[in-house]
Amino acid sequence: MATEAAIKIGEQATSRTHGIKMFKWSLLSPLIVLALFLMPIFLLQIYFSLHSWTIYLSTWWAAEYVGLEMFQDVLTDKRFYWALARSFLFAGVSTVGCFVFGFALALLMYRPFRGQAFFYILFLLPMLTVPIVLTYAADMLLYRQGPINGILSFITGLDMRFTWLANPNYAIYTIILLEIWNWTPFAFIIMLAGLSSLPYEPVEAARILGANRFQIFWEIQVPLLRPVIFLALILRFLEAMAEFPKTWGLLQGGPGSATETIPIYLYIVTWQAFDVSKGAAMSYIIMVIMIVIILAAIRILRREKSALDALYQAPAPGEGE
Amino acid sequence: MSKSKITRRKFIKGAAATAIAAPIALRQGGVAEAGAEEDRIVKAAKKVGPAALNGMMWSLYWRNYPGLNKEFKGKTGIYMEKVNDVPNLLIPQRAMAEAISRSGKFDFFHVESMMIPSLVAAGLAEPLDGYMKDAGFKLKMVGNFKKFMTYKGKTYAMPTDGNVCPQLIRKDLFENPDERKAFADKHGKPMKWPVTFEDEVELCKHFHRPDKDLYGSGSLRDKANSSFWYWQYLYAAGGFPFTDDAEPTLNTPAAQYAMDTYLSYKQVSHPEAAAWGSPQMIPRLVGGKIFSCQYWDGIIGKIEAGKFPTTGKMLYDMPVGSRFSGKLIHRAFSAPVMGIIVNKLSPRKKQAAMWALYMSTAKNSTEVVGHPTMTFHDPWHPAHFEKGNKTAKVYTAAGMKAVNRSLLITCPPPYVTGYPEFKEAIDQNLSEAYAGRKTGKQAMKDTQEKWAKIVRKVGKRRLKKEIPFYKAMMPSMDIPPA
Repeated sequence: MATEAAIKIGEQATSRTHGIKMFKWSLLSPLIVLALFLMPIFLLQIYFSLHSWTIYLSTWWAAEYVGLEMFQDVLTDKRFYWALARSFLFAGVSTVGCFVFGFALALLMYRPFRGQAFFYILFLLPMLTVPIVLTYAADMLLYRQGPINGILSFITGLDMRFTWLANPNYAIYTIILLEIWNWTPFAFIIMLAGLSSLPYEPVEAARILGANRFQIFWEIQVPLLRPVIFLALILRFLEAMAEFPKTWGLLQGGPGSATETIPIYLYIVTWQAFDVSKGAAMSYIIMVIMIVIILAAIRILRREKSALDALYQAPAPGEGE
Repeated sequence: MSKSKITRRKFIKGAAATAIAAPIALRQGGVAEAGAEEDRIVKAAKKVGPAALNGMMWSLYWRNYPGLNKEFKGKTGIYMEKVNDVPNLLIPQRAMAEAISRSGKFDFFHVESMMIPSLVAAGLAEPLDGYMKDAGFKLKMVGNFKKFMTYKGKTYAMPTDGNVCPQLIRKDLFENPDERKAFADKHGKPMKWPVTFEDEVELCKHFHRPDKDLYGSGSLRDKANSSFWYWQYLYAAGGFPFTDDAEPTLNTPAAQYAMDTYLSYKQVSHPEAAAWGSPQMIPRLVGGKIFSCQYWDGIIGKIEAGKFPTTGKMLYDMPVGSRFSGKLIHRAFSAPVMGIIVNKLSPRKKQAAMWALYMSTAKNSTEVVGHPTMTFHDPWHPAHFEKGNKTAKVYTAAGMKAVNRSLLITCPPPYVTGYPEFKEAIDQNLSEAYAGRKTGKQAMKDTQEKWAKIVRKVGKRRLKKEIPFYKAMMPSMDIPPA
């Protein structure tokens, strides 16, 4: 009997090991396929970044080896740093904007009410709009004598002739506003999910203890939502760093270089000036910057999760004595 | 039955009559002459065998071709099976991707002629002279315009679109007696058709009335198109962007004059001009919100074909010029001049070349250019300007005259390898200056420095060889005949 049981346990253990192995492979195989698919692109990109190649060099293998010269070229290019600064400005401001509006909408929507589904769809619509469609719509709406200025004139009673796109001092902020409109639903969905999953007890307890709505929000809900907040901010920031269609579709980085962010500059260098090698080097530098940001983000998220886990696991006052 | 006797006298009389009548008949009966042209191409095309082609062309251009495509298929078995609908601005990038992959997937690119040097260098452009010889086809274009399709003496493209920019002025305003009197009272001289850019700015100032939604100038000032107008100002000032030694000359007085001229229109342009391309400017132009401009000739067809506030109310001529060099020089610009460039790497390049030739005959190009509403293709063939050619119905006789005069003095942007890089650098700086983020002087200095770097990258030796061909594209006259 004991032997049979031992055999059974052994078989189960073997089957379990096999299952784990299978599970690991099922996860790894797509990754391997993806890596194999991406590898030639990465290798070609490395080749281009270490060689000076342009379209007028005929075959790509005719390029001259230049070592790290292309990287040096990028790192000494003032226009690159300006583009990077604009990208951070764009991503930073638009992320905060999306988050503030998204969170506000989520706070309005997280408790069930009649017609909630309708508003839910309504608030999601901007995110479902194809960016290039939004771009052309915005182009028409934002004329000096266009509907937006018309509405503003009607509201304020002043003759508003704001130059939304042609003024180099404001153009980037106009695109930031469009980005906020376009992507607020993203923050809204995440924050709504976060708010809906919050335990009700702490809120109820705070209410019984006499806390007002702001105190409940600020001292109970916000701390509990911190990991979700950071997740929303990080994902949105990374996405905003890569924004291209609106900026390109409306202004191609202009007037002058007023809206020339990193994706725009990278496109100009690679596909307008056909400086493929410099573009390849620049994309690697940007990749390194983005990896640093992502690692920092992962660290923040881990720290927040640990803090939240500790909060949930901590004994309540009077407990465990 | 009496046998007619051919006497020597009768023979000489008949021969003399034929000698006189034949050229007249050929000239008058354009179709007969053109028919022969097409027949020759068909005959040569049959020799290379049938093929289903895969070309890259923007749908706005393709829409005038399906009929001719079907016709050529019926005659030769060669036809466009798949049209890759890619906008003009993106085709150079797709062509470059093809240069990297060298797949030979596309049989031709419908791309601007300025890309010819770069595409030749990339080993992607097939010379067409051999095919032209086989088909007994001679490419005819107005004035010096044919050189836009050639590079280092070889023909690399078949034109589809002239795209020259004549002068447009609002007739109803220009000829208004009250306006003329007001102008004369203010300036102490009669209002005349502008001869120089300075004259045009002065006139534009008079008609610039933003409060009435009327703007003096409608010439484009956005980042993507800035340089086209700049070249016109530079060439009219007697300038040229390179020395024979391939040194950039954007630090010369002529280059600075061109920049100052470019910026001088800001005072009479729409405040949003810095962000406006054709999609924004054309509605204003046809809507009568602009007094004067140099604009692509397709707009004439658009204005005159529709029922717009400007229909029948515009005057057309060659662009105004400059006396900066000491003599009056008029220059127009043609860009992008679209053409069909056959992919050297395509296994069907012979068939693609024949297809391109067939579309560029006098008769067939008239069908394309003379379409009553689709005016994306503008006139370029001398036949388009002949009396009775249907193109005049679209562009009006006055419009055709203006286009013809403009083509006789038209110039290209820098027709050298690396053009996209040169263009990007100057567009960027012109746009910065126009937006007020740099002075005109600083913008020219920065462009000069950037261009010097590009010259080094492209290779001075290569550019030095190309510059004589670029120079040869300049028009042979300063003022075309009236």
